[in-house]
Amino acid sequence: MSLIDSILAGLSLVGNFEAFFALFVGVAIGTIAGAIPGLSATMAVALTLPFTFSMQPIIAILLLLGVYKGGIFGGCIPAILIKTPGTPASSATVLDGYPLAEKGQAGKALGMALWSSCTADLISNLSLILFAGWLASFALNFGPPEFFTLMLFSLTIIAGVSGASLLRGALSAMLGLLLATVGLDLVYGTNRFTLGDPNMMGGLNFIAVLIGLFAIPEVLSMVWDPKPHKAQTRGLGDNKVNFGEYKRCFKSIVRGSFIGVFLGSIPGIGAAPSAFLSYSEARRKSPNRENFGKGELEGVAASEAGNNGVAGATLIPLLALGVPGDVITAIIIGAFMVHGLQPGPMMFILNVDIIYGLFIGLIVSSVFLFVIGSVAIRGFKYVADIPRGVLFPGVLVLCVYGVFAVNNNIFDVGVMFVMGWVGFVMLRNDIPAAPFLIAFILGPLLEDNFRQAMLMSGSSPAILFRGPITWFFWALTLLTVIAIVRAGIRATKALHKNGAR
Amino acid sequence: MQYLHRQTVIGLFALVAGIFLMTVAIPLWVSSPSNVRNIILSPVFWPYTLSGLVILIGLGLTVTGFYSSEDMTAEPAEVPGGYRRLIIMAVVMVIYMFGLPRLGMVWTSMLAFVATAFLVRTAHPKTALICGLCLPLVLYIFFAHVASVAIPQGNFVRLP
Repeated sequence: MSLIDSILAGLSLVGNFEAFFALFVGVAIGTIAGAIPGLSATMAVALTLPFTFSMQPIIAILLLLGVYKGGIFGGCIPAILIKTPGTPASSATVLDGYPLAEKGQAGKALGMALWSSCTADLISNLSLILFAGWLASFALNFGPPEFFTLMLFSLTIIAGVSGASLLRGALSAMLGLLLATVGLDLVYGTNRFTLGDPNMMGGLNFIAVLIGLFAIPEVLSMVWDPKPHKAQTRGLGDNKVNFGEYKRCFKSIVRGSFIGVFLGSIPGIGAAPSAFLSYSEARRKSPNRENFGKGELEGVAASEAGNNGVAGATLIPLLALGVPGDVITAIIIGAFMVHGLQPGPMMFILNVDIIYGLFIGLIVSSVFLFVIGSVAIRGFKYVADIPRGVLFPGVLVLCVYGVFAVNNNIFDVGVMFVMGWVGFVMLRNDIPAAPFLIAFILGPLLEDNFRQAMLMSGSSPAILFRGPITWFFWALTLLTVIAIVRAGIRATKALHKNGAR
Repeated sequence: MQYLHRQTVIGLFALVAGIFLMTVAIPLWVSSPSNVRNIILSPVFWPYTLSGLVILIGLGLTVTGFYSSEDMTAEPAEVPGGYRRLIIMAVVMVIYMFGLPRLGMVWTSMLAFVATAFLVRTAHPKTALICGLCLPLVLYIFFAHVASVAIPQGNFVRLP
């Protein structure tokens, strides 16, 4: 199939009102959810997922991608107006966004956040289109040993970078892998931890585990400490961003976008580190570096470009390799599976129309983000006023309906509640939940590829080192572990030094 | 009395969990056909490997906890009575789950909404009550009539 044929096939799939409407609604839901302090983009995507079961796969996935993109942008609105990042990715935006709001230039800060987000989003989407196909064609050469080493590397980096401690992240990943073993054995079909319950023979439901881990702990945290939201919303002011200011920040926006693309395409790193790196690079290179932290427009532009640059790029490993780049793409991979699709290199051959449909949708989503973002900036006051005492009970009810709807099974609701308590305990003990969920998704694939490799080689582990691709991933895994351990030792030494002082 | 660092406590839990898995859970609850010649291909191989890794990580956490100066103290709740509210929430969840097939999802959700709003000390009780009545109904309409999900109706009041 030529490129033109592929684009036409994609267009035939998404060139209709429903697809664009779903994308538009998704961006709107995401922006609103991202703007509500306490709700995150992850929670928004997780709670939207059950509503997509009755939709066509492409429409469902476009809706979820819209929520993802809107959620990442939406987080900057409360970060600037009430000094409370709506999502962790917007933490860097607070540094200059709020001082600008204090000076009465909130409108300018939000406008710049919107322009830089849309620019970064577009660059990220174009990078996805450019690199995903190339990576997928390369990944077609992968066999079970290569996939096993790739997933091992992904899990190592996710466990290492998504929390404060590699060991706690690794423990979280191990628990996720163990939970993924529940159900019938992949090769022999014997019971594993099913306790004789037929509900557990198919394994634990992914959506119940996911919503349990990411939404219920927030409800429980609110029950644990039901403090009202006290932050004061700043007015927008009359200031708007002009072209000269956008041009002045353009270099930082493009640099931040590419930082986002690079970090986003590595599984596990996510948007927050990218935003901080982009911000610090902009500060290092800017002639106005003294103003950073005091209300510099370029700081807002850089941090927002950094976090939005990740959004399209996290889909590169998802679509090309079938490996989720972060928690949100882990949920989206679940959506693909619910709709009978398996992301990975084969999807570029078997479902090329869906791939190109998604690419077209993603490009359009940047335009929708701009339109909806402009409205959301003005309407934030109403969103910020939603009382938390009404919001969180609503989230609980939404979770129960959503999880039940997957299989029409009350057992799944129980699994969600149990996982909610597990997630809450993890939250209270600084054990990151992201490695748990990603390991839970990758677990069956990891085991399956490992056992297939062993079957191929007559149980000789030498097959796991059979060629340059496996060597490459083993080397990356080793380097990651060394880098994370060294960073941990350095941080501990710094802590000791500070303690001694 | 000197308190253990939280990392050490987590490590000890991981150790106990790993040992429990290896000695009790896997032998009891993972069945393996007797004709599997190679342990690597056996259904118990992967759980045993992961349990071994959990023990190793547990050991690592326990040991590093002794030397760690990381402040892992959880922020205390601003509103007192957190544990009591959590216990009540756990009871609400149990009643919610067991009430679903008996009372029906809509009515149980209404009760759970109001109970949770009360637990999180909502400053808007009237809004919470209205939302508690409306949200489960709206969700019922969507899931039952648009997504064709068989929402549990319960034994008492059935909805169209």
